[in-house]
Amino acid sequence: MKVGFYPKLAVDSIMKNKKMFTPFILTCVGMVMMFYIIMYIGLCSVPDSMMGAESVRSMLQLGSVVIAVFACIFLFYTNSFLMRRRKKEFGLYNILGMGKWSIARILFWETITVAAVSILAGLLFGISFSKLAELGFINIMNGEITYDLNISWVAVARTLEVFGVIFLLLLLNSIRQVRFSSAVQLLRGESTGEKPPRANWLFGILGAVVLVGAYYIAVTIKDPITALLWFFVAVLMVIAGTYLLMISGSVMFCRLLQKNKGYYYKPNHFVSVSSMAFRMKRNGAGLASICILATMVLVMISSTTCLYFGEENAVNQRYPRDINIDFRFGGIDGLSDDIAEAVRRDIDGMVADAGASAGNVISYRTAAVSGYMTDDGNVELDVRKIDDRDVDVMANVFQFLFVPLSDFNETVGDDISLGDDEALICVYRHDFDGDVLSFNGGRSFHVKKYDEKKFEHGEGYIISPCMVVVVPDLEYAVEGIADMTDSLGEGMLQYRMKYDFDTELDVDEEIALCDTINEILYSTPLDASYMEAKYGAYASIASREENRQDFYGMFGTLFYIGIILSIVFTLAAVLIIYYKQLSEGYEDQARFGIMQKVGMTKRDIKKSINSQLLTVFFLPLLFAAMHLAFAFPIIHKLLLLFGLDKVTLFAATTGVSLLVFAVFYTIVYKLTAGAYYKIVSGTKEEF
Amino acid sequence: MSILEVKGVRKVYTTRFGGNKVEALRDVSFSVEAGEYVAIMGESGSGKTTLLNILAALDKPSGGTVILDGRDLSKIRESAISAFRRDNLGFVFQEFNLLDTFTLEDNIYLPLVLSGTGHREMKERLAPIAAKLGISELLKKYPYEVSCGQKQRAAVARAMITSPKLILADEPTGALDSKSTDELLSMFSEVNALGQTILMVTHSVKAASSANRVLFIKDGEVFHQIYRGDDTNDGLYQKISDTLTLLATGGKTA
Repeated sequence: MKVGFYPKLAVDSIMKNKKMFTPFILTCVGMVMMFYIIMYIGLCSVPDSMMGAESVRSMLQLGSVVIAVFACIFLFYTNSFLMRRRKKEFGLYNILGMGKWSIARILFWETITVAAVSILAGLLFGISFSKLAELGFINIMNGEITYDLNISWVAVARTLEVFGVIFLLLLLNSIRQVRFSSAVQLLRGESTGEKPPRANWLFGILGAVVLVGAYYIAVTIKDPITALLWFFVAVLMVIAGTYLLMISGSVMFCRLLQKNKGYYYKPNHFVSVSSMAFRMKRNGAGLASICILATMVLVMISSTTCLYFGEENAVNQRYPRDINIDFRFGGIDGLSDDIAEAVRRDIDGMVADAGASAGNVISYRTAAVSGYMTDDGNVELDVRKIDDRDVDVMANVFQFLFVPLSDFNETVGDDISLGDDEALICVYRHDFDGDVLSFNGGRSFHVKKYDEKKFEHGEGYIISPCMVVVVPDLEYAVEGIADMTDSLGEGMLQYRMKYDFDTELDVDEEIALCDTINEILYSTPLDASYMEAKYGAYASIASREENRQDFYGMFGTLFYIGIILSIVFTLAAVLIIYYKQLSEGYEDQARFGIMQKVGMTKRDIKKSINSQLLTVFFLPLLFAAMHLAFAFPIIHKLLLLFGLDKVTLFAATTGVSLLVFAVFYTIVYKLTAGAYYKIVSGTKEEF
Repeated sequence: MSILEVKGVRKVYTTRFGGNKVEALRDVSFSVEAGEYVAIMGESGSGKTTLLNILAALDKPSGGTVILDGRDLSKIRESAISAFRRDNLGFVFQEFNLLDTFTLEDNIYLPLVLSGTGHREMKERLAPIAAKLGISELLKKYPYEVSCGQKQRAAVARAMITSPKLILADEPTGALDSKSTDELLSMFSEVNALGQTILMVTHSVKAASSANRVLFIKDGEVFHQIYRGDDTNDGLYQKISDTLTLLATGGKTA
């Protein structure tokens, strides 16, 4: 036997099975390309000077791990389609006298060929597109663009490693399949498993229950921290529920349709319902996978786009003014009028030295504490006494800001007066309708509500509910609370003062001013800062401009990874659809042949194919849309963790993502339906 | 009255590049009376299948006419041909051609569903046929759950349920064991006795010997025919064998 025999045979059989191999190779190429690109960007394109470069790199690295794992699972899946159709061929070889060992050798050469072609092409495309991807990345990051093309040999090596291993596993799996089946089994390979489905009520109902449970979690959770904890639980439940429901629920559904004689025995339902019932069980998993992928794409793209386009909003939430200074004092004495005056004068002086003036000021003193509030206005400040078995306990934990009336009047420009036990309240992100607010261990107040929009408190956190309690005398108001300590023995009340302001300076000058102030605040002496020495205060200063870059870095990276992963997952969904239709087309060929003989017209066939494809195609999309709708509240809560509070923006990005995806999906549907019809109607009308 | 009239049917196949012409049917003429049970015999390549395709309106003859129940098949529009086939012809195939996605019952209903019959009427039509064919108990089963003989009986039920003018059977016993073959043939005879016209293509002498008339095709022409007359199945069997021997040895019979 000639040396080149097996390689030649392998190449031959790849060429002969072009229709099956081409999409598989394309998938491999796509996966290799994406993997290389994301590796490359993680390794080469993140400038060290960028703020948070490390976290961006590790996020990208995580992205590459996700792609690698996904590629492995997905290539196994597509390879199984390939093997199912090829078993016949191997069976024939086997019967014609070729040993299993020789078949394994063919498989080996096939894998080598496919691997070589796809890794080479993938790297080639990856390298040529990496610049484009890098430009996109840098653009998203608001960075500076360079135009030289690089190749990262580390990324190349890593790609070779990862995909080498994946292909090796694929080969071993194929050999295993050939090794453990007889020639006759191989010959029959494709037509095995043609058992009619039995509706499995238990699994169907279980799936529905799990799904409803997940939806319930997603809809009812009120607070972002809890949402973060339960989000992954909900995701797992949705995945499990979708699989259960699609696999057995759809069979159940078709069975119900079949029981409805009036509906079932109609020309356009008869064939499609029965063949759906028949293949749902086998292909329910495929449908569920498409659905999950679609949902993942939609969730990812809608939330990361929302983050990206909402980052300005998030920055402004977190840093309400150009320059934001927070002071913390050791005791209530620090909040005296004298000190407040002096501190403001000091800062104003520093700003004036830089040739600017502080305008649009937010400044007030506050004593802050957090506590758990019940609906009747009772506040428990000691966390040890809170019943934390309640899932949503965090939704009722308020940040209370006691603000002296004088500061409040000045800020809102009003002239309100209050009695000793009266308080004015502004409630944020929560409702409160009671008349009395009473702190356990502290005082009670008769409260009047004030329009919360008029008082800009400038607190960065927008996760938990917040209540501003305006009191005539701060010291009197916090009596009792001031003595409380937490489990670490530290006082619960924080005495703070805010001084946030805008300047007319440009970006660079503003950052410079910020640095100057920072320098003064922390210059002398080393062990006690300027403010501490002077007023007993700790001060922290933040410039919005500086932090904006940080936000861009984080949100930009997330957005970018969102796009890349969406492309990968969409590609995968498309391929699953393609393979599904292709293999079903071959199966249905004979069936439609029979139906034509029995008197079905071409038009009937077309109609029934349409009704079938429509259902099969749009069921996953419908489910994905439903998942997305129920996920909306919980994802919105999660976005709050990123400092983003824009329901309309998120609704918009979600809507647009869904629309774009649906259009794309429909195009794929049209193409696939065409291919399917071509296969099916290719049957000859003869005995 | 003739239910089927075949006059001078010719079928010429042309190879793809128009080079060679193969004459599958040269000049076939015969007629089938209502209520007849006719078998067509011939060796592989004699043009049996081509003839059956033409009779089933699946293929068009190159020349000649086929008249089914007074209608010329070549005059029926392409769009109406499927419906015509569905309403007037019943088919029984060698490999059953049951759909594995349907229960036997639904398989039998298929032609009726396609012509839009209501469920109640379908049920009423099926009951007597299923009883006669002895598959009443099997209706809810899927094809893979029953034996070949039972599958073929379901296929016969499917052919009969539209009360077609003519049942065309293509080698119906080809995939059956001898016991199932006997059962199927006696079923055909019974159905025929009730007035159903049957045309069967076969090369099994046994199958042919259950018919009332046997046509022999050779080289694209009707070469000979035998009437049962008063013969028993065995007597007809003997006659057919003799004829086949003659055909094979090239002798001439009038």
